Order: sequence, then C-alpha cells, then structure tokens
Amino acid sequence: MSLENKYNLKSPGVKRLMREARELAEPTEEYFAHPLEDNLFEWHFTVRGPPSTEFEGGFYHGRILLPSQYPMQPPNIILLTPNGRFEVNKKICLSISGHHPESWQPSWSIRTALLALIAFMPTPAAGTIGSLDYTPEERQILAKKSINWECQICGKIAETLSSQSKSSNITQEEASLIQQIALKAEEDANRKEKSADKKEDSDETNVRQRVTINTPSAETINEPITDVIMETEVSINPSTVDQVFNVVVWVIVFVIVLLIGRRFFLLE
Amino acid sequence: MGDESKNSSEEPSQVNQDELILAQQRQIEKEISESIPLVGEMEPISSLNSEYANDEVYLEKIKDLSSKYKHIRRTRPDGNCFFRAYSYAGLERLLDKKDEFNAFYKQAEESKDALVQLGFQQFTVEDFYDIYMEVLKRVGDLTDVDDAKKTLHFLFNEQGYSDYMVVYLRLLTSGQLQKDQDFYSCFIEGDRTVADFCHQEVEPMYKESDHIHIIAACAALNMGVRVVYMDRGNNKSVTEHDFPEGCTPLVHLLYRPGHYDILYP
Repeated sequence: MSLENKYNLKSPGVKRLMREARELAEPTEEYFAHPLEDNLFEWHFTVRGPPSTEFEGGFYHGRILLPSQYPMQPPNIILLTPNGRFEVNKKICLSISGHHPESWQPSWSIRTALLALIAFMPTPAAGTIGSLDYTPEERQILAKKSINWECQICGKIAETLSSQSKSSNITQEEASLIQQIALKAEEDANRKEKSADKKEDSDETNVRQRVTINTPSAETINEPITDVIMETEVSINPSTVDQVFNVVVWVIVFVIVLLIGRRFFLLE
Repeated sequence: MGDESKNSSEEPSQVNQDELILAQQRQIEKEISESIPLVGEMEPISSLNSEYANDEVYLEKIKDLSSKYKHIRRTRPDGNCFFRAYSYAGLERLLDKKDEFNAFYKQAEESKDALVQLGFQQFTVEDFYDIYMEVLKRVGDLTDVDDAKKTLHFLFNEQGYSDYMVVYLRLLTSGQLQKDQDFYSCFIEGDRTVADFCHQEVEPMYKESDHIHIIAACAALNMGVRVVYMDRGNNKSVTEHDFPEGCTPLVHLLYRPGHYDILYP
C-alpha cells in the first residue's frame, strides 16, 4: 500500500516528511534513510563510520522515530548496530534528539540529524544518556563486525549506501550548523545543572523525611550507583567532573525518593 | 513481594532525572494546550475581571484598559503567543484593507529568496514558506471578508498550519536580526553573536519573545504594533508602547507578564 493513500496529504507534517523522503531517496556515500513501507513516521537509516576514526569501515543502522508534531518536535534516533559509542535500542542523546527538545529547530531535518550523528560519533561520551565509552580497539572490532550486520527489514545494511564516491555535498551553512549542534550539548549540560538546582529544595526535604523512616533500603540502593559514578569520573576531563558529579548526585537523590515512594505503595 | 522489590531496585539505572523533568514539563504543556485554544474567540474586556477577582491593582487597570479597548482575543500561552497573536491580528486587520493586503502578499512572496540569500537552508525554508503562502492565498482569495476571517480563524486553530505560520515568522524575524546585526547586537546581553541569539532564542519553537523579537518582527513584516502593558506596577493606568516608535499601529496586543493576547479598539 502506498503512503500517498494512507496519510492526509494536506497536513503540513505529512507533506514535510514526504518532501524529506523524496530528498533522501538516493543513497549517498555517507548516509541513507527511508520511511518504512507502512509507516511514514518511522524511518530506518544507515550511516558510514566517519573516516580517520575508530569507526572507519563500519556501517551503523538504526531507527528514526518521528513524533506526530514533527517538525515542531525533534526526531528520536535509536541505533541498532553495536558500535561502542551509543547504546543500542535506546534513544540516544544528541542535543538535537528528543532528550533536549528545547534546542531543536523546526528548520532542521532528518538529514541534519544524520549529519550531526556522524559528526558526533567520534566525540567523547562524557557520561551523557545512552553513551558508551568503549576503547578504540573495541570500537574497531565492532566496526569490522558491522559489515555483516543485517536488519530484519532492510537486509544487509553495508549494501544500502552508495559505493561510488558521490559526496553528499555538505554546504557551508550545514557544516556550521553541525558545529553549532555540538556546542549546544555543552550548554545543555549547564542548563541541566540549573534545573537540577532548582529542584533542590523540595527534593531535599522529601528525601530527609523519608530517609529517616526507611534508611536501610536507601543505603542498599546507594551502593550500585556509587560504582557508576566512579566509572564516569575516570572517563571525563576534570573541567566537567564537577558538573557531571552534581547531576549524578541529583539523579541519585531523585531515584531514592522515587524508589522509597514506590516501596511505600507496594507495602500498602 | 520479594520479586517485586528486586525489580524496583534494578530500576535506578533506567530512571533518569532529566527525562522525568522533561516528561513532567510535557505533561504540563499538554494540559495547557488542551484547555486553551491556539487563538480564541473575541470576548469583552470585562471577561478579564474574573481572573483578578480580589486584586485591586489589576481591577483598576482593567477599568483603564476598557476605556481604550472593547474586546480581547486570548491566545494559547505556549511561548509562541507573541508570534501567533501578532500574525493573526495583522492578517485579520489586513483583510479589511484589500490594497494593503495585496501589498503584504507581494512582500511575503519575495521573503523566501531573501532568507535563502541570508544563508537559511533552502530545503526547509521552502517547506514553511509554502504553507505560509498557502494560508495567505486561501484567506486572500475569498471575496467575502467574513468568510475570509472565519477561514483565518479555522487555519490558525489547526495545529499544523498555525505552527507553520509561527515558524515562518520566527525565520523572518531571525532574518531581520541577522540582516541588521550591527544594530541589534547592542541589545543582546553576554557575548553571544546575533546569529547565536537567533539559533537559541528566536528560531526554536516555544521560546518566548522579548522586545528585540518584537522590534525585528515588526521591521520584517513592515507592520506596526502597539503593546499595552498591564502588570502589578504602582501606576493606576496601563502603559502603552508602539513598535516601531511613532508608527500608526495596525495591531494591538495586551501584555501581561509572560503572555500576549490580542486587543480590539
């Protein structure tokens, strides 16, 4: 069944996705993306590992989930091929993906998201959501393995990209756009901290009250998380340690409140 | 029970504070959007009284406001309210003045190339421009003014069209800021460039508008606006400000801290 009959072509969001599907119909050397046959709001994509990095030679496949409000809301990207930089089967955290909708611009597109993804792969993971910090060697091994990786829907993904050296013509403005997206990730980290601080007061009082009532469980929960903190600290540079540490502390506080609250409900 | 508690202690790694905050924020946004139409019906100024039942300062000011304006049209407080109110009210007024509407239409037709020349991505600008022009054409083609206004109201309450109008106006505003960046850079705090400011505060949806947005939007559309400020300040009357200064405003907006609605004399 063709997509044309299934959707309201008058809807600007549908028009926009049709337009993007036409624009991206031809695979380039770096990326290829297409909507699923039966769903215009779910796409599959393949990107080539950026050259001169530990991802060189790799092919990475994934899903793009488009919200019904697209392009007002950002697309979500989910990687399916093991790559050592992003967790698979998890919405990943670029500053233009769904985790930070406030920085998404409707004038960006799926192509922008893919270019940003490629540009982002070699950047440090820095403990962001869905990021992995594998060694270059491990990533190289995964890159080699990815050549034989198959998608149930799209088949062998290494064959979906154009093999001719047909450049995707990244315009100057796009190049600066991608840079701008990368910069935004840092700003978002600051903002995250601010919003965490705002929550401070109310959360803290809650935690104090509840922790005194239910101390044992709070302690047991604390242990595994501290391990996680140690790991992240090792992997990131000193200037971001404080920020990340603050964020992690508040994540823990939040989680404890949640769990204790949950436990209360379960007991009752 | 034992199993259940095991499950819950496995959860910490899954739960993320950031996501929770965003989820809550989205929930609040959703509640707001379900309760207030994007652009509401015309209501008498006195309808404001019920919002400030025991608030002498505001009641006094509403009295002053009602001596100058007869009606108010509320817009959804989603951060886009200035752009939505301004473009709706502007088009509504222009429908009464066919010549001015035609001039506005012509100016809009030329706006896309100007944006592309400024370095905006042709592919996506075109997408917003097409819908923007479609709306102008659909209301402009109707000879009966009342029909045209009804269509305008209908389209501005269709989320898809309405948001596209907002996006395109945001792009035009951003274009104006970047075109005259020598002038506007004086108004931007911190060490952000005008382009940074546009990418962070003008182009993303749901970002609220400040004076600088209004000045640039008015310059971009060549359409003056009078903003009537109503807040808890000590003076008994509302204060007015015209953008650009000294113009004969086509559009009148009511500003209460954080939000714009449309006013009718």
